[in-house]
Amino acid sequence: MIQELFKRLHLRDRQLARVVNIGTPYLWLGLFFLAPFAIVLHISLAETALAQPPYTSLWEWVDEGVLQVRLNLHNFVTVFTDELYLAAFLNSLWVALVCTILCLLIGYPMAYAIATAPERRRVILLMLIILPFWTSFLIRVYAWIGILKPNGLLNNLLLSLGLIDQPLTILHTQTAIYIGVVYSYLPFMILPLFANLTRLDFSLLEAAADLGCRPFKAFLKVTLPLSLPGIVAGSMLVFIPVVGEFVIPDLLGGPDSLMIGKMLWTEFFSNKDWPLAAALAICLLGVLVVPFVMMQRLEHRIGGDEL
Amino acid sequence: MANPAERRKLEPWQDPKAAPYVRIDHVTKKFGDVYAVDDVSLDIFQGEFFSLLGSSGCGKSTLLRMLAGLERPSAGRIYIDGADVTDIPAYSRPVNMMFQSYALFPHMTVEQNVEFGLKQDRMPRKERAERVGEMLALLQISELRRRKPDQLSGGQRQRVALARTLAKHPKLLLLDEPLGALDKRLRESAQFELVNLQERIGITFVTVTHDQEEAMTMSTRIAVMNAGQILQVDTPTAIYEYPEYRFVADFIGLVNLFDGRVVETQDDQVLIESSLGRRMHMRDLHPHAIGTPVTVAIRPEKLQICATYQENGINQVKGVVEDIAYLGDVSIYRVRVSPEMLVEMTLTNVHPRTEQALTWGQEVAMEWSPTSGVVLTE
Repeated sequence: MIQELFKRLHLRDRQLARVVNIGTPYLWLGLFFLAPFAIVLHISLAETALAQPPYTSLWEWVDEGVLQVRLNLHNFVTVFTDELYLAAFLNSLWVALVCTILCLLIGYPMAYAIATAPERRRVILLMLIILPFWTSFLIRVYAWIGILKPNGLLNNLLLSLGLIDQPLTILHTQTAIYIGVVYSYLPFMILPLFANLTRLDFSLLEAAADLGCRPFKAFLKVTLPLSLPGIVAGSMLVFIPVVGEFVIPDLLGGPDSLMIGKMLWTEFFSNKDWPLAAALAICLLGVLVVPFVMMQRLEHRIGGDEL
Repeated sequence: MANPAERRKLEPWQDPKAAPYVRIDHVTKKFGDVYAVDDVSLDIFQGEFFSLLGSSGCGKSTLLRMLAGLERPSAGRIYIDGADVTDIPAYSRPVNMMFQSYALFPHMTVEQNVEFGLKQDRMPRKERAERVGEMLALLQISELRRRKPDQLSGGQRQRVALARTLAKHPKLLLLDEPLGALDKRLRESAQFELVNLQERIGITFVTVTHDQEEAMTMSTRIAVMNAGQILQVDTPTAIYEYPEYRFVADFIGLVNLFDGRVVETQDDQVLIESSLGRRMHMRDLHPHAIGTPVTVAIRPEKLQICATYQENGINQVKGVVEDIAYLGDVSIYRVRVSPEMLVEMTLTNVHPRTEQALTWGQEVAMEWSPTSGVVLTE
């Protein structure tokens, strides 16, 4: 009897635990993602108005018992037809892609070196990767202005070495954006790669060598495929925020460097066109969700193969 | 007894004219200041199942890894089938190794794992498929070909690892603790299987193990290692019956070690005054001079209950049964013969245990014959 009761209680406890367990992340997502998303979506369907907040309401009681809902799709039409926005989207994606590849090319050897370093040195190297985070991101990007400007550190160094005889124009170009982004986002590539590579069983490489595989081929056949989850994770952590990046293009990029993050900022704060800015934000989200889902799926497929 | 010619074939190390298949010539490996392998020389013959036996850290794995080419000797040369391979990297040696962890590629199927080495040799696709099929059939894992390593049991993984190393038909197969990851029951059947497999394919096996039973059942010869050096190389029987060092006697099986001093010699017979105050008469294969401090090593199963015990009897000791370990087939009796010394004696349980004569606290006299043990100095 009592045992039966306990069993039932236990079962109820477990069900409750399950609800809490699964419910918490959903609640979190609902509160901090879905609700803001709904608000932004709401704004994107409104019209600008000289009011506080600067947009019209979507619904209005016209008569007794008649609710009029006005959905303004104009902003989306603008986003899709105005070549400026399209160009900004494409350029953002391009910058993000180039920077992700650069981060991967620079970050992979670094992560590999850290993962294979002796225990004591590994801690120091990891510290060096994380250390820059202790300074404000904004200050670090500002510092690059000092380095890249025409009479900045880099140009002075190259001039004094006699490698160039005229200062290079790097600041306020797309190149400056690449430099700034790669610098800022490199740790986000290195850390997941490092986490993945430390779990790599190096006896697998010895086995590959034993079976007749030269070191570089062993890397291609064993290390690389096994580190794919780390590559995907790192690329996602770089690509997604870089698409919407605002600070770096604003500080280092030129007036003609079209990045969607910067556009958004301009629409929101300079033009006070909240609905258009909201529509842009929604589209940006759409653009980001596609690669995200694709990579998630890829990771899932590879993840199943992992030990 | 087999005729001499046949015996030479079975035991090539007995034949002074036989050329060794693997020659390890004064090989040393230092890691920093530590000698992992210290001036080791060893000949291994074709078709042998050779075991390197020792406790962890004795250098046996380092020696194996040097044969594989995964470590480079600090000094000395290694020859395989007449060729000096010392400077040949692992990926071009005609040698394959089965790793202790098996090191199966987790992102490849069983089939792809086995095929990996063949692909490196650029073997044509058709031939490759045939060889893979052959290997999978040999190890009876054909039905697992599409599985990934994490979908296999420990025993299955071991077979896949073995198939992968055998696929390239290496001149020499190295096995690092081949059965270490298996549970006890599986290990026993795997031992016999490994030996049968080796006999069938005729490849020379060199294995590393810390398990003396494993080494005894599988090997043609065993090299007992300690502190980077090889102490004794011999057949399992010789290692067990005629150990040359206290360490070897002690490492393999149970042994009673009586310290003493030689008091009389005649031909190959010695009389020893033991520290227990008793005289021991032993056959000594390497006759020691009078006065030499020696150790008499006698296996517990060579002791018998003494029927006619005498106070000054030769090769006799008396004591009180302190512990009994009942193992089913045999029992090990630990007998206190002096305040410092326990003597171990094993007796076959001919009668059910309840009817056994010896029990705790009982006084028992034991004796042995002059040929049942060895006299050691080191």
